[in-house]
Amino acid sequence: MAASLVGSNPKILSLNSVASATGLRTATVLQAQDIWRDFGGVIAVAGATINVPRGRITGLIGPNGAGKSTLVNIISGAIKPRSGVITFEGVDITAEAAHRIAHRGLVRTFQLSSEFGRLTVLENLLVAAPHQVGESLIGAVLGKRYWQNQEAALVHQARELLIRFGMSAKEEEYAENLSGGQRRLVEIMRALMAKPKLLLLDEPLAGVNPSLGQEILGYLEALRDDGLTMLMIEHDLAAVERVCNPVIVMAQGKVLAQGTLNDLRNQQEVLDAYFIG
Amino acid sequence: MSSAFQFYVTTLLIYAGVDILAAWGLNLQFGTAGLLSFAFIVFQAAGAYTAGVLALGPQTDNGGYQHYIGGYALPFPIPILAAMAVGAVIAVPIGLIALRRLRSDYQAVALLVVSIIASSIATNETELFNGAAGISLVPHPLADQFGGDLLTYQWFYVGFTAAVCLVAYLIVHRVTHSPLGRAFRAMRDNEQAASALAKDITGLRLLAFAIGGALGALSGAILVLFIGTWAPSAWLYPETFVLLAAIIVGGTNNSLGTVVGVLLVPIGFAEGSRFLPEIGHPGLIDAGQWIAIGLMLLIFLWFRPQGILPERKHRYANDGRLVTVLDELAGWLRRSLALIQRSSR
Repeated sequence: MAASLVGSNPKILSLNSVASATGLRTATVLQAQDIWRDFGGVIAVAGATINVPRGRITGLIGPNGAGKSTLVNIISGAIKPRSGVITFEGVDITAEAAHRIAHRGLVRTFQLSSEFGRLTVLENLLVAAPHQVGESLIGAVLGKRYWQNQEAALVHQARELLIRFGMSAKEEEYAENLSGGQRRLVEIMRALMAKPKLLLLDEPLAGVNPSLGQEILGYLEALRDDGLTMLMIEHDLAAVERVCNPVIVMAQGKVLAQGTLNDLRNQQEVLDAYFIG
Repeated sequence: MSSAFQFYVTTLLIYAGVDILAAWGLNLQFGTAGLLSFAFIVFQAAGAYTAGVLALGPQTDNGGYQHYIGGYALPFPIPILAAMAVGAVIAVPIGLIALRRLRSDYQAVALLVVSIIASSIATNETELFNGAAGISLVPHPLADQFGGDLLTYQWFYVGFTAAVCLVAYLIVHRVTHSPLGRAFRAMRDNEQAASALAKDITGLRLLAFAIGGALGALSGAILVLFIGTWAPSAWLYPETFVLLAAIIVGGTNNSLGTVVGVLLVPIGFAEGSRFLPEIGHPGLIDAGQWIAIGLMLLIFLWFRPQGILPERKHRYANDGRLVTVLDELAGWLRRSLALIQRSSR
């Protein structure tokens, strides 16, 4: 599985290897420091600090209302923090717009399925590819001859992903007609088409049947083995235990602890806030 | 065909061309990019006014009875090209006011308000827009080449409008069937997700607004140069709803569906009612027209929201090429022939 996914997303490896060769790689891909955010007086994130290490799947767990999704929304630029600093690959991205952050390679999926309903599955993947020459007005008006070669390469790349994720039969289906689990797969494939350096996964197993859930975890492990860094919010602790290391626990907007899930199980503060309720 | 009938047919064809151009512009904004552009009439009116005042001579002409900006008596086709540029340019401030920070439902309200404000200003500003009277005696482009033969000129204008429609169709088709069109549709379906995939939503909205605005302005320019007059009372926001009804009835984000919608709604209803017998008090038929258009819109929204010709699914061939209508037609013919051959054996 690992080898096959490398083939479908060569940019991830090439970028990492370039960075590695030039000595630019640091152990931490993303740092969020002392992040604060409130909504009409209700504090959602209260001074949270997290570090996301390279090449691993970092788990982010916590009870409902802990501020996990808000933190991911802040990191991805969907909402702005009241204070705090976010650096991605050493660059301060705190004030950047969501699309600029995505442009840097920080790509996310959503808690609720966010497929483009009236686009086919294949189009959902194609639209995510960065740097498309046909996405400018001039490129579009110049016509197919101008962008067809790039488009054909992207279609090939997207079809490879569809094969790897067992979704080829659904290529021409409108995304709005897919099941919940299939939509999750489309979202993950779409994020991969965006050539991420860091993938933020907001509850990727929500609403997915257990066997497809295991499949998705297998894909994520393979991507991790290919060198992709991920930050994953998930409530299913068995899934977190299987793929995430380290695991960050949040409660009431703060980071309570960080470590392996086994270590965390022995910490009273974590038990009180999360495992017991 | 009698001359009178030819005058009627040519006028109708030009009106149809104007409405088709406008509806393509609105369809790009609404059907493709998902922007509820309730201020669309502003683009049309601005384009019409621009073309009119650039084609007109100085204000002192004709006894100086009307006031307007410009009056440069520019030759054809400069007034039309300038109108398109104005349509695209005014999309930016309107878009920045209405589209930048607001949610889509509030965008619709903001754009409606923009439309009402614009028509109020035009109606009450007598120095710049000549107030409610508007402008008149706009010269017809190239009319001097026809030596007063009005009927030939009418047919020439039909041909010109058709040629403009053809070029506009090719451009709209290229945009909607390109990666840019796909990005517009992605934004329409889920803005937040599109933004998370590095799509600049504000930029895409403004671009869709500017392209649609330029098309709307082009339609207004062609109309005003044909009829020779422009008055704010003829460019009010309900006209946008007629175009919107045409798009929904014909099929959103389908350029050919839009043509069908225009032929049915603004052209079909307006002309159909002309042949109805006089009933009730004067104006009843006109009111009935609006009711009929409204009912038709409701019926389609309830029972066939995708319209008569729904949005085409974008399929890709094995070599990664987008499958065209002609490809699909050829495939259908091949399958039909094979079926006939099998059944004849």
